[in-house]
Amino acid sequence: MSAVLLVLADSRFPGGGHAHSGGVEEAAARGLITDENSLESFLCGRLRTNGLVSAAFAAAAVDGDWSTLDMELDARTPSPAQRAASRAQGKSTLRAGRVAWPSPLLNELSQPHHAIAVGALVQVAGGTRQEAAECAAYLSVSGPASAAVRLLGLDPFQVNAIVARMRITEIVDEALKGLPMLSAPALDLFADSHARIHQQEVRLFVS
Amino acid sequence: MRARARLAVERRDGRTVVTELRSAAPMTLLPQRSRLRRGTGTAVVHLVSSATAPLGGDDLSLEAHVGPGAHLQLRGIAATLALPGHKGERSHASIRFDIDDEASVEFLPEPTIVTSRASHSSVFTAQLADTARLRLRETLVLGRVGERPGSLDSTVEVVRGETPLLRQRVDIGDPALAASAAYLAGHRVLATELLVWGADPASAVSGDWWSLVPLARGGSLATALAADAVTAQRRLAEATAGHPGLSTVDGASELITFSVQNHSVANSRS
Repeated sequence: MSAVLLVLADSRFPGGGHAHSGGVEEAAARGLITDENSLESFLCGRLRTNGLVSAAFAAAAVDGDWSTLDMELDARTPSPAQRAASRAQGKSTLRAGRVAWPSPLLNELSQPHHAIAVGALVQVAGGTRQEAAECAAYLSVSGPASAAVRLLGLDPFQVNAIVARMRITEIVDEALKGLPMLSAPALDLFADSHARIHQQEVRLFVS
Repeated sequence: MRARARLAVERRDGRTVVTELRSAAPMTLLPQRSRLRRGTGTAVVHLVSSATAPLGGDDLSLEAHVGPGAHLQLRGIAATLALPGHKGERSHASIRFDIDDEASVEFLPEPTIVTSRASHSSVFTAQLADTARLRLRETLVLGRVGERPGSLDSTVEVVRGETPLLRQRVDIGDPALAASAAYLAGHRVLATELLVWGADPASAVSGDWWSLVPLARGGSLATALAADAVTAQRRLAEATAGHPGLSTVDGASELITFSVQNHSVANSRS
């Protein structure tokens, strides 16, 4: 295991992930996440859809061809709010990563999707496709899990156990097979609805 | 059952004519003659299932080519029931459209109902020229009333020139996934409508379990989730009502069709 995986997956990595709830805030506002059980179901669904696609694109980005991947990931992200959240996190991740692993290769990117930024940094840091997929899959649930603790005051030990139970390895295996296009209709609806309400009233998270 | 159906339409003298029509049971293509003669410029063809399909093991495909400036409406007649085969094999259906410049396709089938032991894959692909238009609706119903759905995956891939506009797949059949608030949030019906149809909304429009969003590289997608098909259609209609490219002309022609079929006067929206 290389250090890049640990650093990128660390919640203290200054990549702006703390500002995003990955749909948890909107789902909680609608009363769909109320406790540890409903959170676990939400995170499973998130990992198997958004997490799988992110992991596959992070893995693919280790081999380069970032502009094609950018276009392909756009085609799999119908929601403008999801695209904005992904690119905002990608930009912050890239900014922190450029300092940690300087490389002229990264000049090609400006506001990449989060998954592509993760894969690009793993590449310049000398990591593997598998590590990039693991990192992206883990981040697809770890951030939203911690957002749920802050939003709903859930038991942090129980929530941590939920994250530990997530089938990351299974998703990573699938992500390494190609570029999936599994959508998550409810997440898409939450993202745009969150963005609309965010402009009208105070919300804790950007997405 | 293995079936390959083909359809080609071209624009001649200001109207769209069917130049190739090859039905392949169970996929029967029926052009609506009156509509063709009336010369609205749009050819209306009904896609009728002439046998019980899709059944497990079926491998059905339809390829359609729409020539420059031609307009095609492909319509379904009744809901599609995805049913199991004798040995539990998966059934496959694929539909592919090639749409040339200034041409348009509206494919508005009735809902697909995923019955309890169904095992079905469907793939829709469209290759669009730069100025081609496409309107594609899909409604998936998870089982008949009180029935748990079988397994179905549905893929939509739409590419304009070399640019993918939408690549999306929905998997039905895992109760845990369907129940997840991230996926279907327990809803029984998912309806979507892709509109590569002139101007797109400047930003997302959303409401109670529906949204209309501009895609990254052209086109818009309307999505609705609901407990039943009627509510899903209503929410989808709310979403598409916010689409600036759906002109009043299109709406009017649909209203006329509707009024003729029902022998009533449709003037409520005029």
